[in-house]
Amino acid sequence: MTEPQQPAESRDAQNDDSRSEAPTSTAPVQITPETDISTLSAAQLYDLNQEFLNDSVPTRPLVDTLVPMSVLREEYENGSGLFLQQIDELVEKGFKSIHRTRGDGDCFYRSLAFAYVSQLLASPDQAMSIATSLSLIESTSDLLDMAGFQKMVYEDFMESLTDIIKNVVGPDASGKKLDQETLLTKFQDAETSNYVVVYLRLLTSAQIRADPDTYSPFLFHPEAGVELEPREFCEAFVEATGREADHVQITALSRALQTNVKIAYLDGRSEKAEFVDFTNAVEPEMAPIHLLYRPGHYDILVPA
Amino acid sequence: MAAISTRRLGKELKEIHSEGCPVGVTLVSADNFECWYFTIQVMGESEYEGEAFMLKFRFEPTYPIASPAVQFVVGNGQEAPVHPHVYSNGHICASILGNEWSPVLGVISICVTLQSMLASCKKKERPTDNERYVKHAPENPKKTRFEYHDDDV
Repeated sequence: MTEPQQPAESRDAQNDDSRSEAPTSTAPVQITPETDISTLSAAQLYDLNQEFLNDSVPTRPLVDTLVPMSVLREEYENGSGLFLQQIDELVEKGFKSIHRTRGDGDCFYRSLAFAYVSQLLASPDQAMSIATSLSLIESTSDLLDMAGFQKMVYEDFMESLTDIIKNVVGPDASGKKLDQETLLTKFQDAETSNYVVVYLRLLTSAQIRADPDTYSPFLFHPEAGVELEPREFCEAFVEATGREADHVQITALSRALQTNVKIAYLDGRSEKAEFVDFTNAVEPEMAPIHLLYRPGHYDILVPA
Repeated sequence: MAAISTRRLGKELKEIHSEGCPVGVTLVSADNFECWYFTIQVMGESEYEGEAFMLKFRFEPTYPIASPAVQFVVGNGQEAPVHPHVYSNGHICASILGNEWSPVLGVISICVTLQSMLASCKKKERPTDNERYVKHAPENPKKTRFEYHDDDV
């Protein structure tokens, strides 16, 4: 079932734009394993892909438990050797484990948020790190206001993240302080997890809208290639649920959160998995968040 | 625990009661957090002068993460506006109700968007595939995957 070049989970639901196909469904066509894929129309392929996604996507938690890289490696064992070399190279560099995330188009934002809070949890000076992080997030209200978002609309989303961060140093409603296990539970809870994702989407959008001179040259329709106004781009490709993030969004969010992000590209094109760096922390040497990118999907890389 | 939709809809309703609706938008009923009705009218000169249309909003417990199901009411003296993006059964083909939905949008912003969709209409006509669509359409418009005709709605 798993294709070695691109595992099923790596294809995000919103990644496929053939969905702008026929609005009506007529008599269903019987598609069997013998059907030649090239004979299908774009609409049929879309349906097939959706079915496939519906089957495969809900099985994975929004953020999955930590597993060794060997689990990922197994999926590629019958495929291109370059993938295996890239995985092995990551392991050699010390990235021994991975939290995989659901391929629902929100995976970048979810991965980043999870890794961001994990980093706070692991901080040698938690009190200081939490205070800095909370004041930064609270200050994003100004940016969100400037972008024209209503407080009524964004405060719940923002609170979902600040509640988790506060929980690192103080007990939550259940009387417990946050640890890796409860962090995972929170990120597997659809309500909490999706609210955090929405906050990060709004923050990304606000960052782009606030600085059009910087971002305009990069705001293109991902498929059509036409230039877009910041507002158009943000509404369609940042704020909309399930739209995956690309370079512009990652840059904007890492700036807004003043954090360093390093993304390993696992693309099977060379022997080494190249890292792309987004260095936007006040102190450039601050330990970065590590993510793993495979075409259309992000997971969380964990050192050691 | 109450559905997340309740918290957000509670806030939206409070704002509607305290601030009122925009011109041309009227709250008809919002007695629960599952289904609300509004009427919208296009102000000023337009193809729809003097007409008013009723909108039905249905909310899932995960609203505003999930988009609401929005359609024009048809029947009991109500008609769907004749518009290239509105089917005669009341279903609306608008990207913000589908793949461009964002949780920053709300009931009022949808009403205003639909108002301007009608206001910018140059020719009153049904979508070209109206007959075919209406014949096979699911009851809930969210179950349809629309082809978005253009980007201005």
